[in-house]
Amino acid sequence: MRRWNDSAFLASRAISASAAIPRRVIMSGRVCLVALAVMLPACGRRAEELPAKALPETTGGQAAAVATAGSSQDQALEPFDPPPLESLNGDSGWIDRPVRDGLVILREQQAKEPPSGAVAEALSLRNTSSAINKQILSTLGRLPDEGAADLSARIDRHVAGDLGSTNPIMISTSAEFDILGLTGFGLFSFGRDLEPFASAETVVSWQTSANGLLDKVVLRDDLVWSDGEPITAHDIAFTYQVIMDRRVPVPAVRSGTDQMRWVHAYDDRTIVFFHKEPLATNVWNINFPVLPKHVYQKTWEDDPTLKESPEHIKLEESPVSGGPYEIVERKRGQQIVLRRRANWSQVGGRKVREEPFFKEVRFRIIEDPNTSLLALKAGEIDELPLTPEQWTTQTTGDDFYASTTKVTASEWVSFHFGWNIDSPFFADRRVRRAMSYAFDHDGMLEKLCYGLYKPAAGNFADDSWMAPKKKLQPYQQDLDKAEALLDEAGWIDHDNDGIRDKEINGRLVPFEFSMLVNQQPLRIAICTLMKESLEQVGVRMNVRPTEATVIQDLTQKKKFQAYFGGWGSGTDPDSSENIWATGAGRNFVSYSNPEVDRLFAEGRRELDRSKRAEKYGRIQEILYDDQPYTWLYWRNSFYGFSKDLRGYVFSPRGPYNYSPGFGSLWMPRQE
Amino acid sequence: MTDSQSRHQSRSFQSQGFWADAWARFRRKPLAMAALVFVTLLAAVALLAPAIAGTKPVLCRYKGRIYAPCLGYFDRRLEPTIFAKDRFRGTYPRNLKEKDADSWAIWPLVFQDPHRAVRENEWPGRPANPAKDEGRPNGINLFGTDQYGVDVFAKMVHGTTIALLVGVVSMGLAGTIGIIVGALGGYFGGWVDMLTSRVTEIVMCVPTLVLILAVIAIVEKPTIWKTMAIIGATGWTGIARLTRGEFLRLRQSEFVTAARATGAGPVRIMLRHILPNALAPVLVPITFGIASAILTESSLSFLGFGPPPPAASWGSLLNDARSNLSMWWLVVFPGVAIFLTVLAYNLIGEGLQEVTDPRLREARK
Repeated sequence: MRRWNDSAFLASRAISASAAIPRRVIMSGRVCLVALAVMLPACGRRAEELPAKALPETTGGQAAAVATAGSSQDQALEPFDPPPLESLNGDSGWIDRPVRDGLVILREQQAKEPPSGAVAEALSLRNTSSAINKQILSTLGRLPDEGAADLSARIDRHVAGDLGSTNPIMISTSAEFDILGLTGFGLFSFGRDLEPFASAETVVSWQTSANGLLDKVVLRDDLVWSDGEPITAHDIAFTYQVIMDRRVPVPAVRSGTDQMRWVHAYDDRTIVFFHKEPLATNVWNINFPVLPKHVYQKTWEDDPTLKESPEHIKLEESPVSGGPYEIVERKRGQQIVLRRRANWSQVGGRKVREEPFFKEVRFRIIEDPNTSLLALKAGEIDELPLTPEQWTTQTTGDDFYASTTKVTASEWVSFHFGWNIDSPFFADRRVRRAMSYAFDHDGMLEKLCYGLYKPAAGNFADDSWMAPKKKLQPYQQDLDKAEALLDEAGWIDHDNDGIRDKEINGRLVPFEFSMLVNQQPLRIAICTLMKESLEQVGVRMNVRPTEATVIQDLTQKKKFQAYFGGWGSGTDPDSSENIWATGAGRNFVSYSNPEVDRLFAEGRRELDRSKRAEKYGRIQEILYDDQPYTWLYWRNSFYGFSKDLRGYVFSPRGPYNYSPGFGSLWMPRQE
Repeated sequence: MTDSQSRHQSRSFQSQGFWADAWARFRRKPLAMAALVFVTLLAAVALLAPAIAGTKPVLCRYKGRIYAPCLGYFDRRLEPTIFAKDRFRGTYPRNLKEKDADSWAIWPLVFQDPHRAVRENEWPGRPANPAKDEGRPNGINLFGTDQYGVDVFAKMVHGTTIALLVGVVSMGLAGTIGIIVGALGGYFGGWVDMLTSRVTEIVMCVPTLVLILAVIAIVEKPTIWKTMAIIGATGWTGIARLTRGEFLRLRQSEFVTAARATGAGPVRIMLRHILPNALAPVLVPITFGIASAILTESSLSFLGFGPPPPAASWGSLLNDARSNLSMWWLVVFPGVAIFLTVLAYNLIGEGLQEVTDPRLREARK
């Protein structure tokens, strides 16, 4: 699970970013988790959605770097002598893994589900019910028939923050995932069901050894960088070395690659990934962004930051791109323009791949959600994630439906109050449960979230395979129970001042704490509701709206009592380990439960999906009892799209961060 | 006896003193007087806010004793703890009756809470406050409700306290610092003047808004008091300069020389003799400063850096409106309140200037 913020994803491991990738290709995988993580934030681009901890896109990189420091990157990569390929081929029983094209998969799925109405009708609908939402998605979410797409079209997309870096291995924030996902090269991706595959646009074959310790990939021979140099297996092996060098401040993607022992290129096209252990998560670990070796091999040792030397500054401005798009213009804080690469689909004078649907992708950087909505209505941008408030009250009239429409879908992004178990207030499980019992959960969903979000009761989404079979219900407000639990835990109003207190180390400590929260109106309102609830049971909570980067910093250093935060789920439940395992990097609340640690370790080694599910389901139940978080809600995706756009299809990670993701969007040819 | 002395003496017998004279003139200025009445009214609203809008009784009798739970709006600690013990949980009307049939209560004029939405039947027979964008002004919610159902009128009434406090406290602080610094520099001159003038110039360069944002990011618990302190600590420079000018001028005057001749020390001369004569021009920037402090606080709240929630502030209401401009009542009421208050202080300042500055006074004749 990624935190919403980026950091989150770090945690998780990156997976592939493909999501962002334009159509099919995409680099497949890049960090999915990441992507997720990122993505989430991304969605969140709107502030609203950013989890408390989410980093603002612009600073994400640095913060994330801090996050990972001290973990795996402290260990230098030990030299490794890879055995000859022949002996590998002889010893390993190779099992073929899927090599797919996300767009083809989607086309096959859609062929089985005919659209539920005419396009003109869907465009005239107002999205007021789930049936209509379904009809709009089913009709406007279709891929184009042959020749129907306008291949010279331009799409104006929204991002809430600028890029920290254009270097793909520095990827960290949602904005970077959105943009670098389109310009980066990758081998792997995953589909709407979050099942991983190698991308047919870049890979010929992918095999895993029977013992699970090796992955072998053969690249296509018709891949070139934007400067015309061929993309080879040596680029991938080189990038692995760079990512694993601890001098390089890689914010996100190292978590994942550090689980591997080595990556070796046997020839220009054959690359083998050596794993330390046969883990269920290895399939995500091999998915990382790739640098052009011919560009960086002479420069990176002199400037391991990859951004300070004159050469690197130049590369930062005009990076060499391996994906379907390249950056052609960058105005900081305003916009970033990507153009389709001719030598992506045409190599050596012949067509080797399908062209992405858009000739140009223009990212407009707009931070304020209200300004963004105005830009969408005015046609300056073609797509925008909406806040619940915008969805309910500002996108219902003629002014909105004149040239735009909107859709919603469920998404695996959840929000919570985190209780710092190291603080004197929340060490006792009874107190944490009392907090959850005190909160008016229904009131929050109905009044503050406009009834648009689903209740959250745990770490994994109820409709995911890793959630327990028996659905957990959020703690419902029961002030009597809350007071009884607080009494039991020793928090009683001894001094008669209306606030509960407890003697700790000989001092009477009143139960008064601060809740850190991002400066988003909805989040502040939710915290204020908690404050009101707690005051009724004699606990004083101070709502402390704080800038996202400060929250990030304080939670990282564990200098907080409680915070409002959010996480986006990764594609694999193991990505949550660094939130819950004892001492893990994103375990801001200092949660520790040996059984949870053990279950995560077992789950990673268990290759059978249903047995894994049992372990993660059990984790969910334990967390539910311990309530290190008070889980609040799962945030849906809400998007406004221009009526000129077609092909939006949602995954649990939103409409973009999977394969084909953004690659399925298109605009019809003008008659 | 010189001419001026004799005139001075005859006046002291027949005519009013300087302040009485100024007041008489001030009263003849309808705009300034209207502004003064308005500010006085606001002060009354601020003081009586819990009695005007709230959900806690102004006075009530419960289990044989009289309580004033409404004081909890000023500070939570002032709310009698017996109600927490008896598990009232913030809902008084029903609980009072249920837990003590003999109880009685005097309720605020408007039963609405500035911190939360009123629930259904909380006041017998009254529906819950409308939320989302449905809370147009109506008979129950005079100024409408915000997106979360909180009554705007109640927020405005309780926000008055903050608006006035910010102005008065921060300018009280700024006035004190400014007068002391200006007085020292003006009276002693020399290196003292050199030092205080340079310090004043340095402080003038500090951008208040940026400083406040920085401090809010650093301090553990940002409160409205810290904001006031910063506005005050950076807003005294104009006052100091004016005071210095007045002191420079007055220290040469004959009555100061006379005072010195009688053996008065510098502190006494400054406080007793010069300050009262220098005060009038100094009051003017203080009045304008109050207006600008209120604007600063509103801007901060509008940007989301105001007093911590759920404290109501006019600026934060405006901020709520930003996300949905069709909820015009979130713009109009706080906007008008801020405008009128700032205007009122400016009118008072202008009036003061006109009645206390002899040159302006002459010009108007």
